[in-house]
Amino acid sequence: MLWIKNGIVIDPKNKVDGEKMDVFIKDGKIVDESEVNKEECKVIDANNKLVVAGGVEMHAHIAGSKINVGRTMRPEEMRIVRHTANKLRVSLGRVLLTSPAIGYEYAKIGYTTAVEAASPPIGSPHTHEELDAIPIVDKAMLPVFGNWHFVFKYVAEKDREKLKAFIAWAIERTKGYGVKVVNPGGVEAWMYGGNVKNLEDEVPNWGVTPKEIITELVKSNEELDLPHSVHLHCNNLGNPGNYQTTIETMKLVSGLANKKRQTLHVTHVQFNAYAGSSWRDVASGAEEIAKVVNSMDNVTIDMGQAIFGHATAMTGDAPFQFTLHKLTGSRWVNKDSEIEGGAGIVPIVYLPKNPVHALQWAIGLELGLLVDSDKVVLTTDYPNGGPFTEYPYVMAMLMSRKMREKELERVSPYVQKATSLPAIEVEKTLYDVIQMTRSLPARVMGMENKGHLGIGADADVAIYSINPDDVDPAAQYELINSEFRKPVYTIKGGEIVVKDGAVVAESWGRTFWVDARKKVSLESIDEDLNSFFSSYYTIQRKNYGIQEEWLRNPVRVEVN
Amino acid sequence: MLILKPKFEFDVSVEAELTPELAEKSLEEIKNFRVWYGKFEKTLGELFDVQKEGDGKKLLLDGDFSKVKWVGSGMDDGEIVIKGNIGANCGAYMKGGRITIEGNADDWLGAEMKGGEIIVNGNAKNLIGCAYYGNPSGMQGGKILIEGDAGNYIGEKMAGGTIEIKGNAGDFIGTEMKGGEIIIHGDCGYAGGDMKSGTIKIGGEFDLLPTFRKSEDGWTGDILVGGEGKILKI
Ligand SMILES: [Zn+2]
Repeated sequence: MLWIKNGIVIDPKNKVDGEKMDVFIKDGKIVDESEVNKEECKVIDANNKLVVAGGVEMHAHIAGSKINVGRTMRPEEMRIVRHTANKLRVSLGRVLLTSPAIGYEYAKIGYTTAVEAASPPIGSPHTHEELDAIPIVDKAMLPVFGNWHFVFKYVAEKDREKLKAFIAWAIERTKGYGVKVVNPGGVEAWMYGGNVKNLEDEVPNWGVTPKEIITELVKSNEELDLPHSVHLHCNNLGNPGNYQTTIETMKLVSGLANKKRQTLHVTHVQFNAYAGSSWRDVASGAEEIAKVVNSMDNVTIDMGQAIFGHATAMTGDAPFQFTLHKLTGSRWVNKDSEIEGGAGIVPIVYLPKNPVHALQWAIGLELGLLVDSDKVVLTTDYPNGGPFTEYPYVMAMLMSRKMREKELERVSPYVQKATSLPAIEVEKTLYDVIQMTRSLPARVMGMENKGHLGIGADADVAIYSINPDDVDPAAQYELINSEFRKPVYTIKGGEIVVKDGAVVAESWGRTFWVDARKKVSLESIDEDLNSFFSSYYTIQRKNYGIQEEWLRNPVRVEVN
Repeated sequence: MLILKPKFEFDVSVEAELTPELAEKSLEEIKNFRVWYGKFEKTLGELFDVQKEGDGKKLLLDGDFSKVKWVGSGMDDGEIVIKGNIGANCGAYMKGGRITIEGNADDWLGAEMKGGEIIVNGNAKNLIGCAYYGNPSGMQGGKILIEGDAGNYIGEKMAGGTIEIKGNAGDFIGTEMKGGEIIIHGDCGYAGGDMKSGTIKIGGEFDLLPTFRKSEDGWTGDILVGGEGKILKI
């Protein structure tokens, strides 16, 4: 039992904004004062300190074939030693961290939950093995659907019942959490050397369009009432002028409502917010996108903030990765996974003086500043935009115009004319950034016990040496940037895992997966599954996917 | 000058980033300098006899150092003289000063070096002046001279400086080379694969890739990567 005493709590979900109060923990949950015996409690003195829920990472690439291939192709990443083995495991990596390093580094910035945002379904056993090797944080993973032949088939046949059955089957087989879509139709087109450009472009051989794929997947997802909405990486990613595709895509869900959450989450929007017609006249489309997102009540986004320094682009958007490789001349790996999709990996370094990189950096911040704090989640699309370990920097930047002005001095002057960042006066509050890193991502993911400190919530807590009554984040941005990097405590499931910025104990989180099988008729797709497996897969159907008992610490979330 | 002699024959490798600055420290400090012997952290004094003569920025390594790695790593000034053979990664990341090896050198000699001079009186193994795996550039400046023969992958991703080999060399010379000069007086195998720029001069026989075009004074390529590197016969 823990008694966190006299902390200053910010808990946006429960509308608590800087109240001095006590938090009680028992059996891994936040409980009411009456449920604990104070004499038996370990007391944590949080006087004048900020007490918030553990951070929730809702979009990062932390496990599965992509990051692992990335580690193999980037031996230089493994020369940075973060932790030598002692009572903890050895942890390595500059941007592409090893599995232990991922868990430790999240905990070291006060994060306690992390979602792998794109797993090739056939690679799910491996993805889970890697997730199981990540200590401390709770986890989940999203299998990719947008280029799967089954999806094309059912969309082409306009058979939503079968599509729903297929989604439920696939999520159960992969022990996944929701529906991820990457460049719908585009990765299939890439198998023939092409891509899709617009929502109306046809996918070769299937006669379906990205628009139909997205709409049908969203409707199926909503009819199944999965905890998370469709999680979409838009078409046309990384191309000048793509902000219009992004806006058109968001508008596809107008009129759809869900009381608990959004009906579409558009991810790492920075990479999809470019105006202009080429890399010579590229500019920011963030203002237009922000207007659309703010005007809709069923769309959320995350930033995909670019961080100056080393990163590694890795996405299921295979054609984009080829474009990036051609653009940068950097190393490139591409993968094709059966009839399910593809992926690519390209190392990248974001340089402040490079006009395009500076633009990407500015667009991420524009989105973070211009979109309402209950609609935009802080992410870097790790490791695409940069390391998640830089979240404190992004938090400080969002809160301080002065800091942005200072940073603007060292970046390419191109951003002055191509973005609105220099003119943006918005300074988000501590409440806003806690919302963008805790309560909002938890709500976006449909994780009810995450991201807040209400009774019944998971006892994931971060305590920082920041006094909300005393600090002016706009002026004291250096303090914000440094203190969010070293929580006084990170508590995961009621256990103290980080003290004064250092990992002190290794715990093992859970893996959440969603079971929607009760809502569908699996028999309806049985024949199709058999026929696709015998015709197109390299493995047999009975060997496909992963059993729950193979997971270290699974939590089945049943949808009724 | 600091004189080091191995106290016994090493069973496993010793990782010792010894630079000439060490000679300027007190004997006490020198003896307590931390090195790795296999997986064990040791002091220099436990593995070597340490003798000091004056304060000059010079190391004299006397004896068999063929299992001692990273000697002269990152050094920017002063001198190291090795009486016998030296282990891998000698002079890696070197910025200045001079290393003289009277015996043979192991792999990764002068890897990613930026300046200074390395002279080997004997032979050297593979990957001289290379980039460490995954890094974009190998040697960027300075000079490496080998009196004897050298192995494979000499000057991979080299971007500047000079490597001169008086004897023969192995395969894959100047692969992905971006600048600088490699001179081989004897024979070697394939040269210049994916070469973008720089010069390779060869005195003896060598294998030319089909991706080089004949130019006035030699060959230019590698055209596979739009390269403008030169391979010249001397
Ligand atoms: Zn992503």
